[in-house]
Amino acid sequence: MRKAAVLGALLIIGAMLLFAIGKMPAMNSRNAPDKTHVIPRYLEKGEEEGGAKNIVTGVILNYRGYDTMGEVTVIFSALCAVVALLDREKRGLSRSSPDASGVRSSVIVRTVVRFAFPVIVFFAVAYMMLHGEGSPGGGFQGGAILGASVIVFTLAFGLPESTRRMPLKVRIPLESTAIVGFLAMGIIGLAYGVNFLTYLLPGVHGAMAQTVRNLMMTVIEVGIGIGGGVIFISIVFAMMREDKYELQPDVPQP
Amino acid sequence: MSEYVRDAFIVLFSLTGLFFFVGGTVGLLRCPDLYARLHPSTKCDTLGACSVILALCLQAGASFVTLKLLAIAFFLLLSCATCGHAIGRSAFRSGVVPWHKPGVKPWPIEEDE
Repeated sequence: MRKAAVLGALLIIGAMLLFAIGKMPAMNSRNAPDKTHVIPRYLEKGEEEGGAKNIVTGVILNYRGYDTMGEVTVIFSALCAVVALLDREKRGLSRSSPDASGVRSSVIVRTVVRFAFPVIVFFAVAYMMLHGEGSPGGGFQGGAILGASVIVFTLAFGLPESTRRMPLKVRIPLESTAIVGFLAMGIIGLAYGVNFLTYLLPGVHGAMAQTVRNLMMTVIEVGIGIGGGVIFISIVFAMMREDKYELQPDVPQP
Repeated sequence: MSEYVRDAFIVLFSLTGLFFFVGGTVGLLRCPDLYARLHPSTKCDTLGACSVILALCLQAGASFVTLKLLAIAFFLLLSCATCGHAIGRSAFRSGVVPWHKPGVKPWPIEEDE
């Protein structure tokens, strides 16, 4: 009886979905609504409405601000999951020394990393995050590069050195920068009596409004970048620790 | 006249890059083991990509784009050479024996280590 009910429900839902698919415009059709309405709107009014020369940034932060905030939350949740599953550092359970191999990387690698690391960080912050509204780039890309730079540093100099320079005390507040930045900028909009994540504040006019909007979007971009980057770093630290933990278990097996 | 000379150099550098990329790809697919594959695949990135970038620099002329391209070439040279070194070293240290003919010792490897 129950199976029959489930089957019937599935059939009805399936029939509805198939009917809806039949009504959809053909794939890549010129008359599809996204071609006739969405794309022309973005291309014609994107700079004015989105507030960024780079239309991608305008779309990400303005038209789809809620969506981007959700993405940031997803990244943060991923960090929470990894920490809950792997990281013993935060729960004070790390008993093993974190450097697994015990082999130092060669002097060539260390020299090159020492030279390249500041350049990579500069590229991530100055070229990707801060300049994301005017040229290709943005917070997510900058955060990925920032995280990768510290990962390279960790591979070259070992986890102890890396955790000494980015201790837990520094990482914990930075991990939530992305969400906090988003919420703060959204609440500024609410305080002015407009919608959440509206960057054009009432009472601010002319060139000042544009400056304020750019500033708010830059704050969000930098928040996404630093938050995302530090989240990647923390995930990698947790996983490297766990690797060592698996290699040499010091917990007596039951 | 100078236009033609420049174009000729652009074509020359592009073809050099193409040659090294094709050679690197063939080597990556055909060579017998990690060390032998590392050799052509790093050539791909250093010589091949840098030749193409040189051609692009000539095409762009004296501009800010050329500066960016030269920076890309510099970091490409630096990182690819280092990567090749790091991969080869870590493979050797974790005991990957180089390819050799059966019965021929590849090079004096300390068996006990």
